[in-house]
Amino acid sequence: MKLPMSQIHTLHILNKTPEHPRFNECLAMMGPDDALVLTENGVTALWSTSKAALPKVFATKADLQARGLVAEANGATSVDYPELVDLTVQAKRVISW
Amino acid sequence: MSENTHNSFTLVITGAPYTTQAPQTALAFARAAIAKGHTIDRIFLYGDGVHLASSLTTPPSDETHWPNAWASFLSANRVPGVACVASALRRGLVDENEQKRHELTSSNLLAPFEIAGLGEWVEGNIKSSKTLYFHGGH
Amino acid sequence: MTTLIVIDQAPYGLWAGREALDMAFSLATFDQPVSLLFTGAGVNWLRKGQTPDAIEQKSVERNLSAAPVFGIEQLLADEASCQRYGLSPDELIDGANMARGSSGLLASYTNVIFSN
Repeated sequence: MKLPMSQIHTLHILNKTPEHPRFNECLAMMGPDDALVLTENGVTALWSTSKAALPKVFATKADLQARGLVAEANGATSVDYPELVDLTVQAKRVISW
Repeated sequence: MSENTHNSFTLVITGAPYTTQAPQTALAFARAAIAKGHTIDRIFLYGDGVHLASSLTTPPSDETHWPNAWASFLSANRVPGVACVASALRRGLVDENEQKRHELTSSNLLAPFEIAGLGEWVEGNIKSSKTLYFHGGH
Repeated sequence: MTTLIVIDQAPYGLWAGREALDMAFSLATFDQPVSLLFTGAGVNWLRKGQTPDAIEQKSVERNLSAAPVFGIEQLLADEASCQRYGLSPDELIDGANMARGSSGLLASYTNVIFSN
C-alpha cells in the first residue's frame, strides 16, 4: 500500500468509539490538510452510523483484524504499525485524542 | 519531509495495562519505529500509565506480561523508561529511594524503569522530533 | 514551541484534569509557552465559588488562580461548551477568557495535548 506523499499538517490519532465526547470533538477540529487514523476501539466507527461523518480515514490493521473488521469494505485504508510510524513522520504534528 | 526522514520520538503512555490497550499500541509503535531506523528518546509514564512499571503485576500465565514485555524492549534498545514521580507515588509505585524517604515497607519499581519528575517529559518535548501520547480509550 | 493543553473533563470527580494542570505548570516552569483550553465538561473548572472542603479536595479554582503567576499564558474557555453548561462570561473565574474552539485555534499551537 502506498501512503500519500503530500505533507499532512496534523495527524489525528483517535482511539475512542463514536459515543465518546472526544470522537466528535476530534472530527470538528480537523483542518483541510489533516489526516485521521482510527486505532484501538476507534476502528469500530467504520461500522457505525457515524461512518458517514468521517473524512478520508486510515485504520490500524491489527485493531481491525482483532475486531473482525475489514477496512477497505468500508472506505478506509488499513495501515500496519510501520505505516503508522510513516504517517506520524509525514505529519507536521500529531494529536492523540 | 519524506517517510525516510530520521525522527526521534518521546512516547508518553497514560493508559494502564489490563485496563486499556495503550501500553500494547505504544509497544507496537515503538518496535516499528526502531525497525525503521528511528530513535526512541524516552518512554514517559504518566497518570494511570505508571502501573506499567510495577514489578508486582501478575497476569495469568497465558496472557502477555506487558510490564515485562516493555522492560525487555527498553533494555534491548537502551531506551530510558521514566515513570512520573507525582503520578507514581499517588498510585503506590515506589523505587528504593522513595521507599526510604517515605519509610514504606517495600518498593515495586520494575527495572529498568526509573522514577523522575515531569522535567523529563518537558525535555522530551523540546528535544524529540515528535512526542506521541498513548491514552486509554475510556 | 507553543503548547495547548486541553481539559475536557469536569473537576473533582476525575483526576486527569489535575494531571493536565501539572503538565502546564511544568512547561511554564521551564519557560515553555503554554496555554490551557477548557472544553466540553472541562469548562466546569472555571466556575466561580468552588468550595470542595466537604469532599476533602483542594480547590482547582485556587490552583488555577496561580496559573498567571507561574507563566501560563492563557486560560481559554470554549464558548459553545460554556453555553451548554450555563456559564456566562461574568461567571468565569478571573483570568479566563472565552474562545471559539476550532481547528484554527488548535492550528496556532505546535502541540495540542490531553493528559489522559
